[in-house]
Amino acid sequence: MNDAAIAISGLVQRRANFELGPIELVIPRGYVTAVVGPNGSGKSSLFRLLLDLAKPDKGRIELLGERVGSGEDTALKARIGYVPEQSIDIEDGLRGSQKADFVRQWYPNWDVNLYQELLRRFEVDPALKLGKMSKGMRRKFDLALAIAHQPELLLLDEPSSGLDPIAWKMMIEVLHRYMDRNGRTIVMASHIIDEVKRLADYIVFVVQGKVLGMYEKDALLDGWQALYVDSGGGAAMDWTRMPGFLSATVSRGTTYKVVTADAPEAERWLAAEEANVRLISKQKLELDEILLFHIEQARGVL
Amino acid sequence: MWIPIQLNEHSAEPLYHQIEVQLRALIVSGQMPEGTLLPSIRELAQQTKCSVITIRRVYQDLENEGLLRTRQGTGTFVASVDDEARDRQRRSAVLEAMESAADAGLRGHFSDEELLAMLREVLRRKRELTGEAQIPSGEGS
Repeated sequence: MNDAAIAISGLVQRRANFELGPIELVIPRGYVTAVVGPNGSGKSSLFRLLLDLAKPDKGRIELLGERVGSGEDTALKARIGYVPEQSIDIEDGLRGSQKADFVRQWYPNWDVNLYQELLRRFEVDPALKLGKMSKGMRRKFDLALAIAHQPELLLLDEPSSGLDPIAWKMMIEVLHRYMDRNGRTIVMASHIIDEVKRLADYIVFVVQGKVLGMYEKDALLDGWQALYVDSGGGAAMDWTRMPGFLSATVSRGTTYKVVTADAPEAERWLAAEEANVRLISKQKLELDEILLFHIEQARGVL
Repeated sequence: MWIPIQLNEHSAEPLYHQIEVQLRALIVSGQMPEGTLLPSIRELAQQTKCSVITIRRVYQDLENEGLLRTRQGTGTFVASVDDEARDRQRRSAVLEAMESAADAGLRGHFSDEELLAMLREVLRRKRELTGEAQIPSGEGS
């Protein structure tokens, strides 16, 4: 079995006002990977390319070991569940149950009991027309539809938009339960920090159409720290030599706030420095601060 | 299965380390006796809001220390802990806490005497609270 849920190489999509890529990215099977980035960074475009809803200008995409865009893909799509960022307006006149009756024909693994249970847990009334459902209810309905055929790969584009806190918690639980079975994969775009923290094993930063890095979540949150260091007022320190150095600012007097992406190594480096250099305290950065660093870095580079 | 592990997200201590220290303490203290089935990696990851990679690393480390064993297909269990290992673990848990206390003390420029006096004071208060008699020095097990 192929260990990659998604393998992307040399992917480029050119539009009049936006260019995505080139992207090289491998997303492992069996994990939850969050694609994180600001609005307009290309997350949704990437999802559409993954599903062959848009065509790339260059490059190659494989989902679950199968090449995307090579023709007949009904069998491949039956193994995938997708919740798009926006619900589809032309379906507004359909009742939930009508849409479900249509959708289930395409999925041999459709599990009617799971579908009913999800509707019950999410408190969705399938007799309502989709256009009459609240934004949150429609979101929950879409999510139930995407999971009910027991897909191997779940692609979620901003899954929690429109959900109230209770529905949000329910969604997290449902996604946790989905992952209980071995070999399942979730790839989700999100900028809800708490959601990423609760669900993700890996984080991919996407800014201005480019992938800026893929990290194991806890290693990222453990590694990125602000160190408050008293330089002792001696010779000016060259902080850029610190492992993982990102920025240095004067905090107060001879104390500097130095941000590093590799706190353990940075501390070892500090300990080996002259005796009058002293680590006063350290603080982990929040995910949004880490994202901000990536955005600024991208702007500096571009 | 739920196990009592509390993480401090704001502590600069790496998450895997926090979990490892607490899980080790639960096993060594006998709160999780030999044969106890641990939650699956995914379950504990969800409970602690950590990634499965972190939990896998913790299980791996504790397995290497001989505190856990994994049976293919059935899960991860608490292994038998011999007295020597238990004593070594008991000691290392305390030493670790003392090191961080010492770090705090040194940062505040306290003398050894002041720090020892503080430790004695804390011990006296705690023992009073639990009604436990003081253990004379040199007779600790």
